[in-house]
Amino acid sequence: MFRTILHRQLKETGASFTLRSALVALTILVPLSAYIQARYYQRVVEDYAIRQSFHQIENSSQSFVLIRPIPPLASFFNGAYDDLPDEFRLLNDSATTNTPSGDLTPLDRLFPKIDLSFIIGVLMTLLTILMAHDTIAGDKEQGTLKLILASPIRRRTVLAAKVTGVILPTTVILIYIVFLYTIVVIVFSEKTVDLSGANLGALTVFTLVAIIVLIVIAALGVAVSASAERSSVSLFACASIWIVIILIWPPLGSYLASSSKPVSPPEAFQRDMASKEKELIQAELDEHRKNVADMKAQQVGVEAAWQRYLELRRRWMKVRNEEIGRLVMERKKQVRDQQAFARRISLLSPYAAFKEVLASLCGTGTESYDEFLAAVERYRQQEFIPKGLDLRSRQKPWTSVGNPDDRLQLPPLQTPSPTLSERLAAAAWPLSILIAEMVILMMFGFFSFERYDARV
Amino acid sequence: MEPSGSLIWLVVRKEVIANIRNFKIPVALVIMTLLLLLSAHTLAIDYRNRLNNWSINQNSQHDPIVGGRISYDLPDGSFSHGVIFGNRPSIQPPQPFSALVKGMDGEVDRTVSVSQRIVFGAKHGESAASALFDTPDTSFVVKLLVSLFALMFSLDIVTREKESGTLKAMLAQPIRRLELILSKSLGASISLLAPFSVAYFVEIIYLHVAHGLLNGWSDIARAMLIFGLASLYGVVFVHLGLFISTITPRTRIAVTTALGAWAMLVLILPNASVLMARLLTPNPSYNQLSARLREARRQILQEEAEANPAAQTARPSRQSLPRIYEIERRETDNYLASKRDQDRRARLFSALSPAGALTFGLSDFAGTGVDAYNSYLELFRSGRDVMIDALKRSLDLPPQAGDKLAYEARKTIANWQRRAEPLGASLRSSIISVASLLAWAVFFGLAACWRFERYDVR
Repeated sequence: MFRTILHRQLKETGASFTLRSALVALTILVPLSAYIQARYYQRVVEDYAIRQSFHQIENSSQSFVLIRPIPPLASFFNGAYDDLPDEFRLLNDSATTNTPSGDLTPLDRLFPKIDLSFIIGVLMTLLTILMAHDTIAGDKEQGTLKLILASPIRRRTVLAAKVTGVILPTTVILIYIVFLYTIVVIVFSEKTVDLSGANLGALTVFTLVAIIVLIVIAALGVAVSASAERSSVSLFACASIWIVIILIWPPLGSYLASSSKPVSPPEAFQRDMASKEKELIQAELDEHRKNVADMKAQQVGVEAAWQRYLELRRRWMKVRNEEIGRLVMERKKQVRDQQAFARRISLLSPYAAFKEVLASLCGTGTESYDEFLAAVERYRQQEFIPKGLDLRSRQKPWTSVGNPDDRLQLPPLQTPSPTLSERLAAAAWPLSILIAEMVILMMFGFFSFERYDARV
Repeated sequence: MEPSGSLIWLVVRKEVIANIRNFKIPVALVIMTLLLLLSAHTLAIDYRNRLNNWSINQNSQHDPIVGGRISYDLPDGSFSHGVIFGNRPSIQPPQPFSALVKGMDGEVDRTVSVSQRIVFGAKHGESAASALFDTPDTSFVVKLLVSLFALMFSLDIVTREKESGTLKAMLAQPIRRLELILSKSLGASISLLAPFSVAYFVEIIYLHVAHGLLNGWSDIARAMLIFGLASLYGVVFVHLGLFISTITPRTRIAVTTALGAWAMLVLILPNASVLMARLLTPNPSYNQLSARLREARRQILQEEAEANPAAQTARPSRQSLPRIYEIERRETDNYLASKRDQDRRARLFSALSPAGALTFGLSDFAGTGVDAYNSYLELFRSGRDVMIDALKRSLDLPPQAGDKLAYEARKTIANWQRRAEPLGASLRSSIISVASLLAWAVFFGLAACWRFERYDVR
């Protein structure tokens, strides 16, 4: 009996105009956006190579540039990658890392690039809810539900068959889309997108999470359908709920957080940092002045003076690192609190939860960016500053032998590249919210269907 | 024969009253008011934060510059310790209308330093979390909700009467079909625009009273223009709904078809047309630009080294500096021009879909659109030209006088601020969008009329 209902459901879905037109639209849109993403990714990779080549020439003990490695799955989920600075200049005389420059992307403000997360999270969820809204309400309206319930079959079997009848075709379409997208990305990115090992695993998990999202939406549609008396009411309710949870709710999170958990504007923080740094620079200059006077009085030789000068520099850089580091940590804590609050608001929407999971999977979220920043900071304190000073201590600037070799050879930046299980663990919270939503909606649909009175 | 004018008004009144009775108008009123107020509140706070950020940056321009050079002059040699710590480059003020339609205004929050080269600072990493989703401004709410409510009001107009059989009775009346469908469309438009105008003006009043925004006549004119364009957009979708209603036999099918069409027109087509524009206007990235500049500089240094092997320096000589400036000017202009072309083409292509036309049109009216952004870029270009002129002239002067000249020029352009786009320019730049929306409204209206005329009662 399960099979008969499922069969009928699938047949109805397959014949529906909605599904067919959606398939046509997706078949056009998916390769187009995948193509754009692939070309864009290729360009980012080329840019990376360009930058690396000219920074390698220019890196010195005075200034050293670190570039953020490109997240390999960025073309599947852009996340916040485009909106984050990806280049940092370390200076031997500053305790802050500078972000030199950025590209102009005004169009992204009006129309963000379409990636796989948009196609699944917005378009596929719309399709799913359109398919699910009618499953039970339609039968109620036509009166066929009474016939089905009159047969010796348990209600939960009917419901299971109905839900499966929605999930099965959407899953097939989903896999088709992911496949199409991946193929286009691989073909047109000219082998810059690396899809092996952990990345392929992440993409598989990506698809699985997408299926969970679609099940949540299908369960929502069936739950509404089971409680609505008429098909049109069910459709109206489903469409409104979809608009609110998918389109309107997620962007409000960060804006609401900025009004209820305000942090000072970024420029204010930059100014605080600058004034602290200026204060310390002034103090250091005073000490240098004193130092010069002392050494002149003691008739110290230039070689010993140079070593004492570098010792002084080392000490002051340490003080500056500590003082500025404290300010940075404080700021980071505030911003992180605000973001956590924003996330708590947004996560109620399955679309936002989906994006959170993807951010951990693809490494394009703010968390992996924070990890990168921490790595840059460690690199600055452990590699750049001490080794730069070591190099300086070998130079003899008082001899006039032209320019001393200031080329600094440093090991490459070690950025954390979490394994798949680590990425999943980081996404545990949004993932568990998704699963909880799925279970609750399923239960809700089940109970409202069990309590449906066929005599009415 | 009875004058049909009164019949038209009868139908319009009947439609509006029916929509009030079945709670569609009250529901639309409540939802639109709530969401527009929420959007106005969040975006007004966002604007205030950005303004605050800008004024802090502006004040910090006057902070003292710390630095100094200390010479370690010792009997057997000397070296020196030099340090200079300046201020951050300035940023440009946000537009007050960005509280209503943010448009491209978020892009101006970055620092820009102007010298012989224009260096656009990096975006702030802290605000990246909001980049995951669209900006929930009025333009966004209108784009989604006005179109949906328009469909809701117009979709079942014909199918409902087909289903209940009243259509045949209506058509038996001495009223022309064209007049009937026009009055139906009028009724749906009034049902949509009445709650929308209430919601919109409540939002405007809220922004004015609670946040002190939108003052003066030109602001009111802009707000009215935004309302007008949003209403036109609503009418486009009323006509679309009417058209779908005439081609489908049943309300249920009409609703699913309409939702599909809505997703296509609102979610897919605008993005796809902008994607096409990107595709057709490839432009160099900022890194490619700086790579070109470095390459040109390196070549000039190499030429100099070949011409004069004795003087080996890392800096180009005074004679080749003008050449370097010119190359920088040319390359940067090419880069900015390609960005401009891409934006313009995107605006043109977006006219293919009503939602795309709406997004660009609203941002044009609000002064946060493509042209406002271009004049923002133009500001830096002319600042850069002033700097290059000063630097070139300073090459002929003695070093101190030259430095003074460059310093003066830098000080002059540091105070330059972009002015809000005049209303006339905003109107001119929105022509394509308005024309596109009008064309869509007429197209769907005619299509609905045509189908309705041919409807066979039997």
